[in-house]
Amino acid sequence: MNSADLGGATDRSLLERVVRGDTSGAGELFERYAPALLRFAARLLSDRNTAEEVTQEVFVKVISRAHQYDGRAEVSSWLFAIAANACRDRRRRDRRATVVPLDAVPEPVHKGDGVESVLGDRQRREAVRRALSVLSEEQREALILARYHGLAYAQIADVLGISVGAVKTRIFRAVETLKSRFSEGESSWNAAN
Amino acid sequence: MECRELTSLAIDELLGQAQEPARRDLARHLEGCAACRSHMTGIEKTWQSLGEDPDVPVTAEFRDRTLALLEDEMLRQRIRTFRPRPPWPRWTRVLAYAAGLAIAALGGFSTARQAGVSAAGTAAASKQAASPVEAGGRLSNVSYTPPDAQGRIGVSFDLEARRAFVGRPDDPAMAKLLAYLVSRSAQTAGEKSQAIEQVSSHYGSRVAPTSPDIVRALTSTLRKDPNPGVRKKAADALASFAMTSEIRSAFLDALNADTNPAVRLVAVEALAAAAKESPDARTIESLRAKAFDPAENGFVRTKAASALKAMEF
Repeated sequence: MNSADLGGATDRSLLERVVRGDTSGAGELFERYAPALLRFAARLLSDRNTAEEVTQEVFVKVISRAHQYDGRAEVSSWLFAIAANACRDRRRRDRRATVVPLDAVPEPVHKGDGVESVLGDRQRREAVRRALSVLSEEQREALILARYHGLAYAQIADVLGISVGAVKTRIFRAVETLKSRFSEGESSWNAAN
Repeated sequence: MECRELTSLAIDELLGQAQEPARRDLARHLEGCAACRSHMTGIEKTWQSLGEDPDVPVTAEFRDRTLALLEDEMLRQRIRTFRPRPPWPRWTRVLAYAAGLAIAALGGFSTARQAGVSAAGTAAASKQAASPVEAGGRLSNVSYTPPDAQGRIGVSFDLEARRAFVGRPDDPAMAKLLAYLVSRSAQTAGEKSQAIEQVSSHYGSRVAPTSPDIVRALTSTLRKDPNPGVRKKAADALASFAMTSEIRSAFLDALNADTNPAVRLVAVEALAAAAKESPDARTIESLRAKAFDPAENGFVRTKAASALKAMEF
């Protein structure tokens, strides 16, 4: 998770650059974390446009709050925490608004991708989205961070502001719920295999 | 281990977070417990069914848009965090005053010498300033000097030869020269931004009343300049002026058509502030449309909604 391992400036030094008013710090953090944050927001919100807006919000907040970062959690956890809060706010705000489903928003098709491959991806995405939609928001957040972003329990606890025990409980309940749906014969899951 | 611990241990194992002793316990338990083996198979199938996270690519358009927004935000942040220095000691103010007088005298002398005119001051400066504007030449290496003791500002530039003009901001010729620098002469985004900053600091609600030339130059820049940073600067400058129908119309166009959310945000703020004083139907309609547009940027949408809420109809 820590991009400092990839060489170059550490996440913290990039954040220090932001505090000093150096735009390159924010730009570099965007390059490192925008793909993961966009994926996280898209998974939670099921709407690409809103996910992009939330990702933008995260980085704008990074600029205005960089001086508040206390170093207790990793920078990546701090970013995901901002994203998780922004997604919750957005869901609250948009509860009554019309939301365009993720699949309704055309995504750029990479050159060389065959039609079957594109359709297969779409089906897989839809199947996973349906499966996750049966979970509570809290369970979904914890499971997504663990399953798709590879965060350790302690990091998820930092992101969600809860104890490691509570993280484990949420993931446990999420898996139990999904497993019981799976054994009831949720045929749409097959698309994800 | 006991059967009821299976799910937790299985999740640890699948997430790669299980400790070695726990893994051994799990393996040993599964060997001897058929029910748990079946449960474990179910959990593994469920886990696999979640599949891989399909990529949601960061498009070039999204990257460019966001980086431009971040650039604007950094700028905004720098302005917000700026604190004026403590007042200078008395002797430095005396020195600064003397230096200002010297610069003004030097500027006047330079103008007179190069243009062949003996008189300096406002009238002479106005006369000189009109010529490059009317000729439509390209003014390069533009530099500005702050107001002197008489409130006159200075603009120097190269046009065949180096020229310097001094005049009060409310002098129509000086306004015309600055408007020209904003709208027609400045070639680069940096030059334009510098000219707009000068306009912002000397006009509008500040020292001099708004000049029609300057409003025209700024509204045209807001509508047409290809650089979002320059458009935002023009919007910021216009936002400090008293609202007129021309400025309102430019802000409404920006709100509806500008591609940069930071520019649209300034438009919302300016329109909302003006509408609070005197509500106008087109503004309210546009703000309402933005507040309910799911495709609009979250900040713009929220700002439009709170502006409507703050209005008293």
